[in-house]
Amino acid sequence: MAKPVLRQPASLLRTTTFRLALSYLGIFTVSAMALLALVSWSTSMFIEWQVQETVDAEATGLSEVYRDRDLTGLADIINQRARQDVEGRTSYLLMGHDGHVLAGNLRAWPKEAGDMLGWVRFRILAVGGIGPGTEVLAHAYELADDHRLLVGRSLADAKRVKSAINRALGWGLAMTILLGVVGGYFTSRHMLQRVEAMGRTARRIFGGDMSQRMTLSGTDDEFDSLAASFNEMMDEIERLLEGIRTVSDNIAHDLRTPLNRLRSRIDLVLLGEHGCEDYRRTLEETLAEADNLLATFSAILTISHAESAARLERFETLDPARLAADVAELYEPLAEEKDVRLSWRAQAGLTLHGDRHLLFQALANLVDNAVKYTPAGGRVEVSVVLGDGVAIQVADTGAGIPEDARERVLERFVRLDSTRTTPGNGLGLSLVQAVARLHGATLSLGDNHPGLVVTLAFPAPTGV
Amino acid sequence: MRILVIEDDSEAAAYMAKGLKEAGHVVDHAATGTDGLFMATSERWDAMIVDRMLPGLDGLAIIQAIRAAGNTTPVLVLSALGKVDDRVRGLKAGGDDYLVKPYAFAELLARIEALSRRVSATQPETRLRVEDLEMDLLARTVSRGGQDIDLQPREFRLLEYLMRHAGQVVTRTMLLENVWEYHFDPQTNLIDVHISRLRQKVDKDFEPALIHTVRGAGYTLRAGR
Repeated sequence: MAKPVLRQPASLLRTTTFRLALSYLGIFTVSAMALLALVSWSTSMFIEWQVQETVDAEATGLSEVYRDRDLTGLADIINQRARQDVEGRTSYLLMGHDGHVLAGNLRAWPKEAGDMLGWVRFRILAVGGIGPGTEVLAHAYELADDHRLLVGRSLADAKRVKSAINRALGWGLAMTILLGVVGGYFTSRHMLQRVEAMGRTARRIFGGDMSQRMTLSGTDDEFDSLAASFNEMMDEIERLLEGIRTVSDNIAHDLRTPLNRLRSRIDLVLLGEHGCEDYRRTLEETLAEADNLLATFSAILTISHAESAARLERFETLDPARLAADVAELYEPLAEEKDVRLSWRAQAGLTLHGDRHLLFQALANLVDNAVKYTPAGGRVEVSVVLGDGVAIQVADTGAGIPEDARERVLERFVRLDSTRTTPGNGLGLSLVQAVARLHGATLSLGDNHPGLVVTLAFPAPTGV
Repeated sequence: MRILVIEDDSEAAAYMAKGLKEAGHVVDHAATGTDGLFMATSERWDAMIVDRMLPGLDGLAIIQAIRAAGNTTPVLVLSALGKVDDRVRGLKAGGDDYLVKPYAFAELLARIEALSRRVSATQPETRLRVEDLEMDLLARTVSRGGQDIDLQPREFRLLEYLMRHAGQVVTRTMLLENVWEYHFDPQTNLIDVHISRLRQKVDKDFEPALIHTVRGAGYTLRAGR
């Protein structure tokens, strides 16, 4: 057996799950960031829009004052409102056509606005000139007589709201990434542990302990189903290995015995002084023994061919009646010689999909057995009937097989003690069993009252 | 017959050559595939025995090569590969018969002699005749000494095969393969029982006996001895 390859336990960071988790996290982060950017942008748009609304409303109010009460009235109102606005949220400036300030809480027309009318953004310094000051969004209007009015509103509140939202979004993103990494780590570790456990079991089996099996977590997840399949596979392998072991033990026994007989026979004739006739007889016996050995050997090979299921390609559509008739006809003289009546009957028009030679061999083995174990005056009948699928039966009126031994006779080299004296290698029924398995058929032994009835039941044809 | 043996196992080849020479044939031996192909194409042979697994050139490749060159010398393929598929592959490549190792020498001899006969009898025959035994292949009747013999269909085919190979040894496996057309190992000597039945009908009431048992090999149908 090859030396087991010792592998380092897989590093967590290199596991598929973790990589998968990371890449999902990456995709999620990017899409979350895009979403956050969109939210942040639309919030600030909304806030600015609100500021503009406020400014417009204020300006509308002021323009009504101007219409009703003219420039001085407007100046009064502006000054009054500017005084009331203690927090400095709103900026007003009413400027005469010569450029001097008529009313308002700004010292001068902002440079950023220049001569332009419409929306303008500028910064006013804080009291004392420290800090960045506040940004103001203002609207410049032109009144009659070249007077100009500027109404603005501080964006400080909007800034605060915006940064609060951004902060919240940022934290959310950070939490997402953190949770993703931690979650990925833990799921990966969990997966890795289960995979590692499987790997350990596999290595132990590889190391020779065939009894090891994967443990199931009981959650019925995909790992469990994988482990269950693996365990089933191991059961099958163990069964096959056991089969091979039994077979090699049996081969050792059943081939060694005749080989030993062969050897001692030659040994014996070489020891003494013998005539030519003795040598000839011994050689003839030796040849017969060798032929028996070869027959056993070829039976073993045929069984393993049938079992390897490599023959499917040779399957053809057959007439089971023809098969039964051929076998019956082949064995009829032999049966007659033993004073056994061999007959066959078959339902016409049935078809079977299979390997002609193997099926013939299997059927021949069954008929051979039946004729061999049926006493003179008995009957053997081969019949082809239609149940669920085609079934071929071989029934005899011999001694039969006791119920508790029926299972056992299908094993290789098993011969019941009562049959030890008749020739045979104990492979006949195993071969039939192997051929049956290759064809998906079931082989069953039953009681014929008296005698044995062997049934080869083929599966019902499926569709097509 | 001049027989070419292409076989890499020298002991097996020597054993084969010895047996064939004792049976009155002239044997030459090639130990590799390339030598074999050279000898097969450079001289005329009555039959060839070709092992499948050879150093240099595969046995089946040799057969394919000589068949491609229009050479129709009968070829017996010899192989340790005994599955029906292997057999089919061997025959498809152009082999005339396929024998699985290990084999009985009698089987090999019977088959190689049957092969050379197969070529010489090419024209279709309608009647077969051995001594006073006559077979009408069209009417499917058999008579001996003018007396009709009633045969079952399988007995007819069995006798036909024996008559077509009259004077040659036919083995039990040859009969199973050609008369019953199944590849299988009978556990009992079934063929012997069929032959003895045939003898009852063909030989019992007549002189001389025509069907003879060849010890350790099979049967032969011929007059005398």
